[in-house]
Amino acid sequence: MNVVARRRKRKREKMRNSNGQDENFSRFLEKELEKNIENLKIMLGDPTDLVVRQFPIGGSEHRCAIAYIDGLVNEDLVQSHMMKNVQLIANSKQLPDETTDLFEVIYDKIISAVNTEKGYTLDDLSLALLSGDTLFYLDGIDQVLISDTKFWESRSIEEPVSETLIRGPRDGFVENIQTNMVHLRRHIRDPNLRFKQHYVGRRSKKLLVAAYVDGIINPAIVKEVNRRLETIDMDDAPESGYIEQWIEDSFLSPFPQTLVTERPDKVSTALMDGKLAIFLDGTPFVLIVPATLGNTLQSPEDYYERWTIGTLLRALRYLSAFIAIFLPALYIALVSYHPGLIPSKLAFSIAATREGVPFPPLLEALLMVVTMELLREAGARLPTTIGETIGIVGGLVIGDAAVQAGIVSPVMVIVVALNAIASFSIPEYGVAIAFRLLLFVFVFAAAVFGLFGIILAYIMLNIHIVNLKSVGVPYSAPFAPTFIEDWGDLVVRMPIPNLTRRPKYMETVDDKSIDLGGKDK
Amino acid sequence: MKRFEYADELISEREIMIAIPSIVIGVGILSLPRFLATVTTAADGWISILAGGVLAIGMTWIIAKLAASFPHQSFLSYASRIVTKPVAVVLTFLFAFFFLQVVAFQVREIADISKQYLFNRTPVEVLALVFLLVVVYAVSGSRAGLFRLNMMFFPIILFISSLVIFFSINRFESEHLFPMFQTSFTGYLKGLGSAATSYIGFGILWFYLSLVRQPSKAPKYAITGMCIPVVLYMVIFIACIGVFGNEVTQNLLFPVVELAKGAEIPGEFFERFESVFFTIWIMAIFNTTTLGLDISVFALTQIFKNTPKYTIIFILSPLVYVTAMYPQNLIEVSSFGTYIGYVIFGYTVFVAVLLLVVGKLRGVKALG
Repeated sequence: MNVVARRRKRKREKMRNSNGQDENFSRFLEKELEKNIENLKIMLGDPTDLVVRQFPIGGSEHRCAIAYIDGLVNEDLVQSHMMKNVQLIANSKQLPDETTDLFEVIYDKIISAVNTEKGYTLDDLSLALLSGDTLFYLDGIDQVLISDTKFWESRSIEEPVSETLIRGPRDGFVENIQTNMVHLRRHIRDPNLRFKQHYVGRRSKKLLVAAYVDGIINPAIVKEVNRRLETIDMDDAPESGYIEQWIEDSFLSPFPQTLVTERPDKVSTALMDGKLAIFLDGTPFVLIVPATLGNTLQSPEDYYERWTIGTLLRALRYLSAFIAIFLPALYIALVSYHPGLIPSKLAFSIAATREGVPFPPLLEALLMVVTMELLREAGARLPTTIGETIGIVGGLVIGDAAVQAGIVSPVMVIVVALNAIASFSIPEYGVAIAFRLLLFVFVFAAAVFGLFGIILAYIMLNIHIVNLKSVGVPYSAPFAPTFIEDWGDLVVRMPIPNLTRRPKYMETVDDKSIDLGGKDK
Repeated sequence: MKRFEYADELISEREIMIAIPSIVIGVGILSLPRFLATVTTAADGWISILAGGVLAIGMTWIIAKLAASFPHQSFLSYASRIVTKPVAVVLTFLFAFFFLQVVAFQVREIADISKQYLFNRTPVEVLALVFLLVVVYAVSGSRAGLFRLNMMFFPIILFISSLVIFFSINRFESEHLFPMFQTSFTGYLKGLGSAATSYIGFGILWFYLSLVRQPSKAPKYAITGMCIPVVLYMVIFIACIGVFGNEVTQNLLFPVVELAKGAEIPGEFFERFESVFFTIWIMAIFNTTTLGLDISVFALTQIFKNTPKYTIIFILSPLVYVTAMYPQNLIEVSSFGTYIGYVIFGYTVFVAVLLLVVGKLRGVKALG
């Protein structure tokens, strides 16, 4: 008792120091029930959705009250586990007269809500209350019981729209973080699965959870991520994008340094590789760190299909990454600087189609690429049904009409279309966007210096990537620093029984993911 | 036995193995067959390449052994222990100075060759400047990053070389290789000179070995790395002679690029393959140049400990540019290259001998 009292006193002093300004209510619990309720109401501005019910305990002279926010709690639970029990106790038990003892009895025996804690300051209470907990006040004591009665409407589990697979689980994360954590638990029943809690947002106080599997992940990564998460200081984090941008290593880089997913299966695979997932309440998008360039070109489906198909898809994606960045730039370089490099027949036909096009290749390319971006953006903002119209208008009408009118050459339309399709086939949306951005850099480099410009831009891109890190792990791993052992799951996807090791560049504690009869394979 | 510690900036032995061929393979090989064809008959130049290679491998091993016996110590610190601080400072400074000239030479050559094969109107000055800026960008990044770049580019360079050689096979005429062994001894010796100086760059071991995680393993990896250019040079040289013959090779400015010009890629997707080849080869030259500039910066940061790396880079870059633009024509560039080759080779050997001998005489204990 003494220890608790001392701790409370210390806490009060701390609170006094930090909130020294004059307020018209006390931030500390009083012994008087009325006073406490009044303080609570003043603090919250007497909101209409605050429900306070005062009543005597089972016929004794002790008065008590419960308070909750209407709509955030499961009222059945409040009714059956709190109200009913407290009102009816006199019938079944001998109540102590001392208030402190009574409080302990209520805490220990009466309130049967599963998760009940004691609260000592108004700040504890307000956070709990606004998160959907129910408060139980007892007259004559400066403590409050906080019962977990959270319940609110949430979207049902649906297939993730942003990452559709042909084969794979159809469930996706939702906005409710509890549901999402349950999802992950159902994938990983390892007792070493850890959820480290943080609250972000000075005002929004949103729950953020860093999930990882202890015993796989490198402890240095956990430490670093938690350190970064603790530095977060903003009013509100409406989406995990805020978190991503706060903790990323380089804000100048076009590349996303975290993976974003709505798929529980993707998260569980990542955790098995020694990565860490960051859940934020209120968004279905979960962050996975650290990310590498190789990860961004992988899709969960690579593992669900047989390895030959997985490998083929991976190779195709590397090709499409190449096309997404280079194709228009190469076209410009070849047409305007090195026509000699194109086979003569093709060169003639390109020259013939370019006849009458009034613009230099750079302008022609920019025109088409910007149009493409406009179409994409317009399509993304519109409802699906109208979005399809955009596709028809853009693709058929504008493309065809522009060629007919002699504004652009048909080869350029092919190049830009191919380029757009390639960039859509990249599974990570953030990376696809980065590639679109780089495309412009390469187009300009090609327009100014031809092939020389392209190769220099490519070298610069590589310089950037090798210097980039995601939570300290090189973004270019396992290409360079080279881990040949990891190449079995990079461009090629080896058969599942051969993928016995976790990625070496992750420096995992436990590096074996499959143990074939104890043999060190 | 973990090779990769979380987020550290050390390099592995394998990265040293790739760094060696990365700095060695640059512009030198593009014109090497011409020099060799001039002083040797038929395809005898390969003997010079091999002899030069053996010499270079030997030197690599000696330097790596010496540097590895002072694990995780900078060149300046262990040289100071052997030959006193003032001498060590002078040695380090000269390294910075000479490598700076290598950088200038590479920058000039790349601009010249680009002008010849990719552009004809863009001035050399602009091409050199753009290239130098990219190099400066690379060197401004982390040092480990440079080794990762080597790792990224080196396979591509090997691949494009093999492609050129492979698609030259059907134009290969074996009678060009004969008669064998008709070259005079002085011919071989002159050839050895050109060949050996095209291997310069192993001097980087003096500096980079201090970054290697397990220095004791490094010598083995370093000489393995050195074997790569030796083999590659021999194959390329024989391919050049086999395709063009000795006479023609003598008169080609860059025989290797010309070799690529004739390569017949099936499907005729690329009409003029030499432009593609040279474009890719820019990566090789880039690797050489960045490592060279980084060695200069590394050496100078050891001397001027309190000066930030960026300040040194910003002082050095204009120097490089001016030096690169100094030679007035291709002949001057070529003789500049020859001079650089001999000086660096000689200097590296000199430092190795000096440190070995003085170290033995003064009985400096290897392990610090």
